[in-house]
Amino acid sequence: MPDLSVFIVDDDASVRDSLGLLLSLRGYRTAIFSDAESFLQALSPAWRGCILLDIRMPGMDGLALQRRLLELGCSLPVIVITGHGDVESARDAFKAQAADFLEKPLDQAKLMVAIDEALSKYQLSRHESEQRARLSGLLATLTPREREVMELIVSGGHNRDIAEELGISPRTVEVHKARVMQKLNVDGVAQLVRYSLGNR
Amino acid sequence: MSTASRLGWADAVFLIAGYVALDWMSFFHPLHGPYITPWNPAPALGLVFVLRHGWKAALPPIAMAVLLAEIWVRSLPAALPASLAIAVILALGYGAIGDILRRQIGGMGIFSDRSGMLRWLAIVVVGTLLTSLFFVLALVGLGLVPASGWREAVGRYWIGDGVGILVSMPLLWMLFDERARLLLLVVVKRADTLGYLLAAAAALWGVAGLGAATDFKYFYLLFLPIIWAAARQGLAGAVLSAAVIQLGIIIVVHLQDFSAISVLEIQVVTGVLVLTGFFIGVVVDEQQRISAELRHTLRLAAAGEMAGALAHELNQPITALSAYGSACEELLARGETGERLKETIRLMVAESYRAAEVVRRLRDFFRTGTTRLEQVPLQELLTAAVASFTKRAASSGVTLTVEPVPAGALLADRPQLEVVLRNLLSNALAAVAEQPADRRQVTVSAALEGSDRICIRVEDSGPGLSGSAAARLFEPFNSTKSSGLGLGLAISRAIAEAHGGNLWAEIGERGVFRLLLPFEGTPANA
Repeated sequence: MPDLSVFIVDDDASVRDSLGLLLSLRGYRTAIFSDAESFLQALSPAWRGCILLDIRMPGMDGLALQRRLLELGCSLPVIVITGHGDVESARDAFKAQAADFLEKPLDQAKLMVAIDEALSKYQLSRHESEQRARLSGLLATLTPREREVMELIVSGGHNRDIAEELGISPRTVEVHKARVMQKLNVDGVAQLVRYSLGNR
Repeated sequence: MSTASRLGWADAVFLIAGYVALDWMSFFHPLHGPYITPWNPAPALGLVFVLRHGWKAALPPIAMAVLLAEIWVRSLPAALPASLAIAVILALGYGAIGDILRRQIGGMGIFSDRSGMLRWLAIVVVGTLLTSLFFVLALVGLGLVPASGWREAVGRYWIGDGVGILVSMPLLWMLFDERARLLLLVVVKRADTLGYLLAAAAALWGVAGLGAATDFKYFYLLFLPIIWAAARQGLAGAVLSAAVIQLGIIIVVHLQDFSAISVLEIQVVTGVLVLTGFFIGVVVDEQQRISAELRHTLRLAAAGEMAGALAHELNQPITALSAYGSACEELLARGETGERLKETIRLMVAESYRAAEVVRRLRDFFRTGTTRLEQVPLQELLTAAVASFTKRAASSGVTLTVEPVPAGALLADRPQLEVVLRNLLSNALAAVAEQPADRRQVTVSAALEGSDRICIRVEDSGPGLSGSAAARLFEPFNSTKSSGLGLGLAISRAIAEAHGGNLWAEIGERGVFRLLLPFEGTPANA
């Protein structure tokens, strides 16, 4: 997956080094951090990918970092790893929206599945939010009247009904409709409906 | 009940020869003819054989031995059929005592605890009384003892047999039992054996030298060496010194030509002396056994704690190993066989050493409880220990603080000290749980004690400890909690002591534990 990275945060040098090596050989871009603090310091909104996070670390532990990321509104999915596998920390991790929870020693296959799932989940949500952002940008270019017309079209009204409702001529409705289509860069009513639904 | 082992020809011959020899050795001061003597150790040998081999050691071997002794030692005082009858009566008596002992106590347990010892004493005392009764009645019936003197004869024979058996049987039993024999050998080689044997000789000299004029007034001196032996070496020491003292007494009464009646009295007192020693010895043995068992249990429990702590350490190298392994596969699949593969394999080897090191440490701990010392930065150790409790503290509203500590490192076994600190912190958190919400505080601090020791203090705002609670605090299995074994503090102290340090609790209004450990401070400018 291009331009996506796996961010590994683990206090054990061998663990993070070996995981970094393995993942890079498998074709992932990786970045490694030895503790939560240095990760937070480096964290940038431009980062794309997922986080592989060890729970037990000196200083700020994994679960605390996870909560902090949530507060910061960071959308990178977090895969939590633990050497203990206790129910309580698993519960805490999932409450803080962990993508997955893995036990050390790590099962390679499970790790790969978890990473791939986290990355595709990330891409999907990213794709959606990009779409949404693009659409809301486009919607902002509509005039209030055009917007009214669009909403009535989407709710299934015919030109005549819309004209009646807005107190304008069907011809004018026709013009507005064409402008909306053009501004939003869609070809037909069906696409317009799908588009506006996606924005709700 | 133990299974009887086979009695071979050699055993039977040994029994008969030994019995006759002991009888010959102890034949003096007879009363009413040659049968009633004040010291009879020979039956003790017979009992040991019956105990080991069952009834077949009594009949015919003991009967034959008694008959031979009559012919050889006593020049056959009665007609042969009468002597044969006497021999059979005695053999039946000893056989019955031995058999009851074997059924009631069994071979192994007989001298291993107080209850076995008490039952042995009771069976021997009652058994020899009955045997003496039947024996003397038979002698009266055969006209070998005057009917008027039967009571005196029973009493004397009973004392002669009873004391003879009580004093000699444990030693003989130990000599014939392989494990007990090894123990006896070990004990004999110790330095203090010479000490108490010399003391026994000195006491005998005192008893005999001064006692000849004073009617054995100083007999109590003999308690000293036997109690010394029993206290130092348990039953083995008691048995050994008892045998030496008994022989010494016999020699003394021979040399000084004591009257038969004084010899009898002395034998009774000797019986009491020896039994005192035996019981002290058994108690010492029991106590040593229990303390060894307890040490073992403690070590197991400590090892369990260690295993938990080390499992996490083991997870890391295993995780790294499997990742490096998969990376190697990946490299090979790409056809990379150069430096990168070599380097990865080298890393794998290093990780496997790391895992092996963890396992070795655990195994060492199981085996000897030894510790593997490394430099552990104090600050890091305390921070890590406290970090694992921050969540628990926060959820129960406890303020958990670490005060600034002196820079430097402990020379310590890290997982073991982690076990100690976890224990102390866990106890401290539990202690403040009942306090009002604004009075729940746990503070960890450390201060130098001299130049090379550090005192780590774990203080809590809990109710503190009373003097009696503090005294029992470190005893194993003494827990105030509903769950757990109460081993935590006992293990923790053991660990602290193994590091050349100590762990103790302060008596007072607040809970304070002090952990003293060797420390290497870093100079402030370093």
